[in-house]
Amino acid sequence: MNRRTYIKNSLIFGTLGLASFSAFKWFEFSKQIDPKTLWDKKELIGELAEVIIPETDTPGAKAASVNVYIINVLLNCTDAKQQNKFLTGLDDLENYSIDKYGKTFLKCNLTEKDAIVEHFADHSGYSNRLINKINNKLLGEPFYSKLRNLTIEGYCLSQLGATQGLAYDYIPGKFESCIPLQKNQKSWATK
Amino acid sequence: MYISDKIKNQQSYDAIVIGSGISGGWAAMELCKKGLKTLLLERGRDVKHITDYPTATLNPWDFKFGYNNTNKDREIDPVQSSAYGPADKHFYVSDAEHPYIQERPFHWYRGYQVGGRSLTWGRQCYRLSDLDFMANMKEGIAVDWPIRYKDIAPWYSYAESHIGVSGQRENLSQLPDGEFLTPMELNCIEKHLGESIKKNEQNRLLTIARVANLTRGWDSRGPCQNRNLCSRGCPFGGYFSSNSSTIPAAFATGNLTLRPHSIVTEILFDDQKQKAKGVRIIDALTNEVHEFYSKIIFVNASTIPTAGLLLNSTSSRFPNGFGNDSDQIGHNLMDHHSNAGAYGVHDKYTDQYYKGRRPSGFLIPRFRNLTDNENHSFKRGYNIQGHGERREWMDKSQSLAGFGKDFKAQLTTPGPWTVWMAGWGECLPYYKNKVTLDSDLKDKWDQPLLKIDFSFEENENKMMDDIKQTSADMLEKAGFKDISIFNYNKPGGSTIHEMGTARMGNDPKTSVLNRFNQMHGAKNVFITDGSCMTSSASQNPSLTYMALTARACQFAFDQLKNGHL
Repeated sequence: MNRRTYIKNSLIFGTLGLASFSAFKWFEFSKQIDPKTLWDKKELIGELAEVIIPETDTPGAKAASVNVYIINVLLNCTDAKQQNKFLTGLDDLENYSIDKYGKTFLKCNLTEKDAIVEHFADHSGYSNRLINKINNKLLGEPFYSKLRNLTIEGYCLSQLGATQGLAYDYIPGKFESCIPLQKNQKSWATK
Repeated sequence: MYISDKIKNQQSYDAIVIGSGISGGWAAMELCKKGLKTLLLERGRDVKHITDYPTATLNPWDFKFGYNNTNKDREIDPVQSSAYGPADKHFYVSDAEHPYIQERPFHWYRGYQVGGRSLTWGRQCYRLSDLDFMANMKEGIAVDWPIRYKDIAPWYSYAESHIGVSGQRENLSQLPDGEFLTPMELNCIEKHLGESIKKNEQNRLLTIARVANLTRGWDSRGPCQNRNLCSRGCPFGGYFSSNSSTIPAAFATGNLTLRPHSIVTEILFDDQKQKAKGVRIIDALTNEVHEFYSKIIFVNASTIPTAGLLLNSTSSRFPNGFGNDSDQIGHNLMDHHSNAGAYGVHDKYTDQYYKGRRPSGFLIPRFRNLTDNENHSFKRGYNIQGHGERREWMDKSQSLAGFGKDFKAQLTTPGPWTVWMAGWGECLPYYKNKVTLDSDLKDKWDQPLLKIDFSFEENENKMMDDIKQTSADMLEKAGFKDISIFNYNKPGGSTIHEMGTARMGNDPKTSVLNRFNQMHGAKNVFITDGSCMTSSASQNPSLTYMALTARACQFAFDQLKNGHL
């Protein structure tokens, strides 16, 4: 067996192993969650969203109540697997915070919060795309990736995000096809 | 459900139009304008222009779940929810309430309401040409179209002059020019791609889409405000729909009776006169059965339901379905494919942007098989539709790493220019692609469920491969980077251009309708929705339905006047 075949085979077996592990998790993850468990994390989700999209010269995720959006979408528009995965992710994050800093995420200072989010951003999903794909399908999108995407959506669609973080043109009237980019030009909120 | 067997309300009209979508609205307007007392039957609810567009002026933050459909939406509407969003869901049927059978995967998108899918259509308006009308004959495929471009050309002009089409004249034989309002404008990257194509390719060009969006006030509507929220219904009347245009025009004559909630279950045949005498309907609200009678009937229920209605209308004269001497009804179902294309990123013009949301893109008109001696692995051709834009937050979430201040700054500023484009390709008419009635399963009005059996074949698949290649080539020659090619592999029906189930032709033995969309077997019945199409061409078809409808109305009226019907 040459090296290349070996790597290929070990990848395939690795994938199979993970897939069967995933099957077990899938069963656990298919149970409905109690909406209250997620609403109880409202403050934590809000802080996390603010780390991802902080207040600068424009409002951040917290001011735009992105946490409410995230919870509403998770509860109404994603399946039980995704909800469980998200909840587990929040628990992992809290445990990591306590292990590492001896306090909950909400009690951490800004630098510590950044470091914790950084850790989870770096460890979001496996490095192998195929395994990620299988896992996303069976178990839902990884916790951090879901958190980040919903934070982006929630912020950019919110009134503060759309009108101040971005540029919102309610009724454009005219279409101007090619115009010079203005200084500090924000992206259009809608397309 | 109990359906009353007592027949009520036996009223007579000059004309009955079945269906109020894009072609039914046209039939109603034309017939009313000619002085005929017309009954317009629609199976769904009424939708009044502006008043019944509840989401038209909402902001993004007015939707609690953003642009996401809910779990419940996906559960009860597995097909429709793949097309609708929270902002236009109310213009789609519920799959749970209106089931159908997919013998092979087929996405059948429906809008049962006054105006039908003219509320949510893509608004692209392209003429067919003799390249299309003569293709079946030249290649010996299916049957020959009974008309040529010269027969329909004046009616294209007539339709365009009414609906208002913005577009650029290009003087192409395969895509004839029309009566155009000022074209919308291409943006920087689209112009760049267009110039590259002009320089590098023979007989190819890039032009602005020809759309029924108004660049100036027209028919007391518009102009388009460049909001790009068309599928919610336009409070400015910026685009053409039955609701904004033909139905109000029909009402203005005083000759129109509109009856929503009227499910037509049967066209009735008069054995003595050897023609249709009227229709039977179920009132969807009361479940009462009514019959209405008329001198002529226009069937505009849309391709799949029209076939179902004809197959369900049996008599001793037509045991296999109304007007089905040829046994072609329900067969030859077509839908364009729009699966294959390419996407690329460009690093120039970073100091340029745009303002406003143009509700249209660009078109690269058909360039394959324009002559008989080209050597491709497939017949016919495709046109490429696409659009250029700067990458915005919706597209960045996957590619943008990190978090915090820098991340936010990148997220909220315009990214590089990108172009997405895909081929809208011709689908050949195959007898085996068909709609039939299920012999057992019924809907809640006790009507047989429709069964759809459709797939794309080798010709379409080979064309999709070519589209990927040519799209990527054109992007590459124009200096695009990170080019990715794709084939979405969406099932049939996804382009929402169903056609062909009651085709036109010269021979009653092999076709359902004659050259004036008149039924060979019942001279007072006319069918001018997508089911009449003998081949699909590659152009978006609605404009052709409108032109054929206006033409058939004139013919029907003349025949009626001269005592032939």
